[in-house]
Amino acid sequence: MASLNGSEELRKFSWSGIPRQVRPITWKLLSGYLPANAERRESTLQRKRAEYFAFIEQYYDSRNDEHHQDTYRQIAIDIPRMTPESLILQPKVREIHIDIPRTNPLIPLFQQASVQKIFERILFIWAIRHPASGYVQGINDLVTPFFVVFVFEYIEGVVENFDVSSLPDEVLQNIEADSFWCMSKLLDGIQDNYTFAQPGIQKKVKALQELVSRIDEQVHKHLQQSEVEYLQFAFRWMNNLLMRELPLRCTIRLWDTYQSEPDGFSHFHLYVCAAFLVKWRKEILEEKDFQGLMILLQNLPTMHWGNEEISVLLAEAYRLKYAFADAPNHYKR
Amino acid sequence: MAYAYLFKYIIIGDTGVGKSCLLLQFTDKRFQPVHDLTIGVEFGARMITIDGKQIKLQIWDTAGQESFRSITRSYYRGAAGALLVYDITRRDTFNHLTTWLEDARQHSNSNMVIMLIGNKSDLESRREVKKDEGEAFAREHGLIFMETSAKTASNVEEAFINTAREIYEKIQEGVFDINNEANGIKIGPQHAATNASHSGGHGGQQAGGGCC
Repeated sequence: MASLNGSEELRKFSWSGIPRQVRPITWKLLSGYLPANAERRESTLQRKRAEYFAFIEQYYDSRNDEHHQDTYRQIAIDIPRMTPESLILQPKVREIHIDIPRTNPLIPLFQQASVQKIFERILFIWAIRHPASGYVQGINDLVTPFFVVFVFEYIEGVVENFDVSSLPDEVLQNIEADSFWCMSKLLDGIQDNYTFAQPGIQKKVKALQELVSRIDEQVHKHLQQSEVEYLQFAFRWMNNLLMRELPLRCTIRLWDTYQSEPDGFSHFHLYVCAAFLVKWRKEILEEKDFQGLMILLQNLPTMHWGNEEISVLLAEAYRLKYAFADAPNHYKR
Repeated sequence: MAYAYLFKYIIIGDTGVGKSCLLLQFTDKRFQPVHDLTIGVEFGARMITIDGKQIKLQIWDTAGQESFRSITRSYYRGAAGALLVYDITRRDTFNHLTTWLEDARQHSNSNMVIMLIGNKSDLESRREVKKDEGEAFAREHGLIFMETSAKTASNVEEAFINTAREIYEKIQEGVFDINNEANGIKIGPQHAATNASHSGGHGGQQAGGGCC
């Protein structure tokens, strides 16, 4: 990282994907958690980690108090329900196989009590410090990529069934604090997705509809004629940042770019969603009714996706952003 | 596939009571012990037979968390049936039924058929809500009631099908205006064809007009 001090340069290099070995440090820099100035990094880390541990001291015991217990109970119910399915991290070799059965080895990460506790604390502390939104289901998913990327720093080779509690306590605590701060930075940019009535999502789904009507009239009309509303499938795309539609390895790659792109999570994501929808135009146009379309749109076949598919998607999103951002209607095909 | 009627359902109730598992058991005949949180709404469909007629069920499974209420509320309108689900092993999910019912009654059409479901009946040892209590609540509020297990599939078919039967009977009695799609009922293409003189889209046909 020493050679990539300028954060502009770091963004430029990271946009097309970050090598696994340097991903943890790069994410911490890109998210704004760590300062660009290398000399200040260690002290910043120490200070922020201490700050997070102090939050836990200060707030975590209040989780069963009357005004916090609903929040905590909800989080405690939700964490064990996070499916391993969203955590499929196929080893590289398997990425080349197209037909990966769903029963392939998974990481039973969320069956591990220590992991569940970490997620509970991160989400509870975040929720009570952000009362305007509080904890909304979907936010729990947003911890996962940070946590997994930071844990991988300590794992060589095989990742399946890795027992997180085999890591030293201190390492695990630092991973927890770093995940909390990086997730907080991410959420700062999209908080209106989770405030009352979720105005950020409503706005973005409308924008998606408008954008698709301009870039692919045929797909747009087909959805309209079949009475499929964008909110019916794209709500989740916004609420969970496409994490439910993609394997985790793809989300991680996607976030390399989101963190390199200005307003990646809040704005560029819209173009990614548009590119993602249009990517399935053939399948969409083949479905002749509402039912077929809804079933397709909530189960898009991305199980075999890897870096290549994400790169293509991102390139298309980038093109759309420049062709259609604030562009007048004469861009209409 | 041709069908006589299409009924739209909505599944509501607290988070974690097993709404998505009930739907999955009904549509795919399988049980997923860990089911990820439903975000917003999810869609499912299946064909059933009532009185020798093919009926297509289109089902909206909603997220239970309060934060999503502003999104999920809009699905009440346009539903002919609702499954209101609680978890027999969690008393609080039963206590919240009144709120759910008020919400449902306020935002749906008045003829919507509501089936009260006490789910997880396989977990007898952890039961917190007696079957009697479910029955009493249902009686008091004019709902149909069943205990189900999405895990063992016990009563799952029955819950969805009995709701459909109730809707079907209401159609026969002329309670539902089947030409108003806001009621969550649509006449199938096959059926509409046999009533060609009435197939003018909106209006025209009498409610429940003896078409069967």
